[in-house]
Amino acid sequence: MTRAPLLSAQGLVVRYGAIEAVRGIDFSIHEGEIVTFLGANGAGKSSTLNALVSLVPAAEGQVLFGGEDITDVAPERLAPMGLTLAPEGRRVFGGLTVEENLRMGAYGVRSAEKREAAWDMVHDLFPILHERRHQFAGTLSGGQQQMLAIGRALMCGPRLLLLDEPSLGLAPQIVGQIFDLIALLRERDVTLGIVEQNVAMALEVADRGYVMAGGRIVAEGTAAELRQTDRLQAAYLGGS
Amino acid sequence: MDLFVQQTVNALALGGTYALLALGLAVVFSIMGLINFAHGELMTISGYTLMYCGIAGVPFVISVPLAILAAMVAAVAMERIAFRPVRGGSGATMLITSFAVAMILQVLFQNLISARSQAVMLPPLLSESLRIGNVIIGVNKIAAIVATVLMLVFLDRFMNRQKTGIAMRAAAEDFAIARLMGIRANTVIAGAFAISGLLAGVAAVLWVSQRASVDPLMGFTPVLKAFIAAILGGLGSLRGAVAGGFLLGFIEVYLAAFLPQELQEFRDPIGLGIVVLILLFRPNGMIPSRVLGSVKV
Amino acid sequence: MKKLILTSAIVAAFAAPVAAETLTIGTATAQTGSLAYADAPTMQGMKLAVDEINEAGGIGGTIKIELLEKDVRSDPAQTSIAAQELVDAGVSVIVLPGDSDPSLAAIGVVSSAEIPAISTVASSPTLPEIGGDYMFSNFPGDNVQAAVSAKWAYDEGFRTAWIVYSLDTQYTTMPLYFRDVFEKLGGEMLGESTNTIGQQDFSAIATTIAAQDPQPDVVMTSAYEPDFPSLLRALRAAGVTSQIIGSDGIDSPTTFSLGDVGEGVVFTTAGFATEGSALESFDKAFEAKYGSAPETIYSAVGYDLIKVIEAAVIAADGSTDPKAIQQAMANLENVQGATGLITYKGTNGMPIRQVSLIRVKDGGRELVGQPTPDADLIPAPRMQ
Repeated sequence: MTRAPLLSAQGLVVRYGAIEAVRGIDFSIHEGEIVTFLGANGAGKSSTLNALVSLVPAAEGQVLFGGEDITDVAPERLAPMGLTLAPEGRRVFGGLTVEENLRMGAYGVRSAEKREAAWDMVHDLFPILHERRHQFAGTLSGGQQQMLAIGRALMCGPRLLLLDEPSLGLAPQIVGQIFDLIALLRERDVTLGIVEQNVAMALEVADRGYVMAGGRIVAEGTAAELRQTDRLQAAYLGGS
Repeated sequence: MDLFVQQTVNALALGGTYALLALGLAVVFSIMGLINFAHGELMTISGYTLMYCGIAGVPFVISVPLAILAAMVAAVAMERIAFRPVRGGSGATMLITSFAVAMILQVLFQNLISARSQAVMLPPLLSESLRIGNVIIGVNKIAAIVATVLMLVFLDRFMNRQKTGIAMRAAAEDFAIARLMGIRANTVIAGAFAISGLLAGVAAVLWVSQRASVDPLMGFTPVLKAFIAAILGGLGSLRGAVAGGFLLGFIEVYLAAFLPQELQEFRDPIGLGIVVLILLFRPNGMIPSRVLGSVKV
Repeated sequence: MKKLILTSAIVAAFAAPVAAETLTIGTATAQTGSLAYADAPTMQGMKLAVDEINEAGGIGGTIKIELLEKDVRSDPAQTSIAAQELVDAGVSVIVLPGDSDPSLAAIGVVSSAEIPAISTVASSPTLPEIGGDYMFSNFPGDNVQAAVSAKWAYDEGFRTAWIVYSLDTQYTTMPLYFRDVFEKLGGEMLGESTNTIGQQDFSAIATTIAAQDPQPDVVMTSAYEPDFPSLLRALRAAGVTSQIIGSDGIDSPTTFSLGDVGEGVVFTTAGFATEGSALESFDKAFEAKYGSAPETIYSAVGYDLIKVIEAAVIAADGSTDPKAIQQAMANLENVQGATGLITYKGTNGMPIRQVSLIRVKDGGRELVGQPTPDADLIPAPRMQ
């Protein structure tokens, strides 16, 4: 018998009014894995991540995290449980300094020890953030903001970190840096769920992946398998 | 020149009171998008507390903190009872709710206390004045300015140093993401209401110590001024609210002081005309909120 | 259902013969809102008078008075609606709010229905002038009050004055009458300031007045709560030491609880309870009914209002017909009210009543005088 997954979703449905963005999908993420969600724009990937962290309500289905049902748990309770998201578009608090952003990331962490450990890790990973700690986050470059968004998410010492489009809108060399960073996170045993449009990069760092189209999962497999399947192409070309 | 200095002190005192009022509206608006028109009724509650304390013979130095506390408790209760159920509703829903809360409270004051104005006992010191050189400054003006400065310093410290304060700023920018960090919505919103109650309470003490009476509809004028000041400064921006409050105070006092007598009749239209003119050039207010200008993803 | 119809039929059958024995007075007054300061205590006085009259068997011993009350919330539109409802209910007399603006809003309704209307305490002399034959006032006119206070000021030796007025209502323009009389007497106006009702902050005006060298002997205003206490406190805090003269609008508890700031303020109002006066016995009766002494003169004026209606009904030979009451009321002379004698004969509906000058002393009231001004000193009513 295999170990229970860290996170699993069954029959997950997300609706925005009459529009069904996610149409009943099942997936799981195991401890220590990097799992990527691939697919064209509007395939339902971001909606899936947002539903996991309750930013949008799950209309149907169930999400288990560490064995607990978190389907309807308020977002503020997830960070202390070890689940967080670095959102699409980074959404750093522009009017707060870098340091304040990071402090907010650790808002729900009670133990000072844990906070310091997280702080050290973020400091190690992103020396630039330490350098700019008194600067307003809104004045950082796009790449630095992405680092801050990831750093902020890491501050709660997550067991599972979800990254939504970490490379979106960044210059190619910065994209490389971000993926180098993801590789580093893997070395530190952070479990990751990544939504990414840059398929090549994503499959390079991921262990497994799900391909989504029209709100459904149309293919799944290891990164190596997915690199070869033509269903991936089909999904991006709009068919399903 | 002395006259100008004195009128400037008047403007600072009035502007400071408006700033506190506008800040009270802005703190709540920045976090939950609600313009709380029942803010004025928080002041009325403070006013009645002062009145009852006066009747009971409570010394003014004790009744002032009690009055401020009453506004804070009322603000938090207001959020819990009236605004939490409509949280996440549209702006219009929340606005109408706040009107309803204001009206219900007014009717309660009318029926449970009195429809008529009630006298509030004030220490004689508040109507005395100091002479500094050729300039005469009322003690109440100095009290208003000192109270404003203290409140602004306190608020600045709280918002920039305290964890809850920083969380409120974060929530004001992006509530959803703030919640993702583990910042509890209830805590932040209750905190915002408590602060708006604090500001309303302090403003109420200043307001009531000018008029020496309290009546059920007392809150209307100040909340209207606060609303104008908040729009002028940039709705949802705390710095804007302060700037707008002071600017409105300066406009009103300087017009009343220096407009020729034959134009005094048109003072209010001229004052509001200036406000409109400023808004024509800066439609989002003097110091617009960073958040409202941009589109949220 | 059948029972109900039967019951109402019986009631109607019995009601018909006694209908002439009841006078229904409709009140469309401001029991809440900004005018409640005047209309709420007026209503207490009215009820006291109604109870007294009914306990004695009614007007002339036979006609019971019934009040049909509507609260207009100090709103002109609501006043007009309430007046219409009262007309539809068939009342004989309508009582309107204590300010000319909401009262004016109901004029169309009362004059077309030809029902006499009396404002509780509106003091603008223009109200009955515009209102026509069916509109009566119940208070010393603004022009009369201003004539009394200006004459007093001049006789006290004050020669320079400053007025603070507001164009927002007729009432708050009373200082313009004061200016006319004071100048006619030979006094000099040093300046004037305008405010808006509810403006709260008077610091700019106060500083301007304080900066006059020398300061005016007198500052006169007809601002009332909450503006008057604000203005007064601002004046004193700015260092203005002038004599402050107010009007009946400040005849309220707040004025007497201002402490040192309020001391020495002089104002005109509708009455003062001297020993053995009608007002003194009214105050006693009031305290017996309500448990505390009246807070303002308005209660006594409300009592007077009912006494005026009573006198009119008696003069109309016990008729409850609105037209007959209107005719009789217009010719009333020397009706004894709680505040003194009231005469409508020869006026346009603005009664001739005594004006009392009161000084605030030790947090209480002190009678300065109850003078009757020369008729030629009283300025003609003016429209603002």
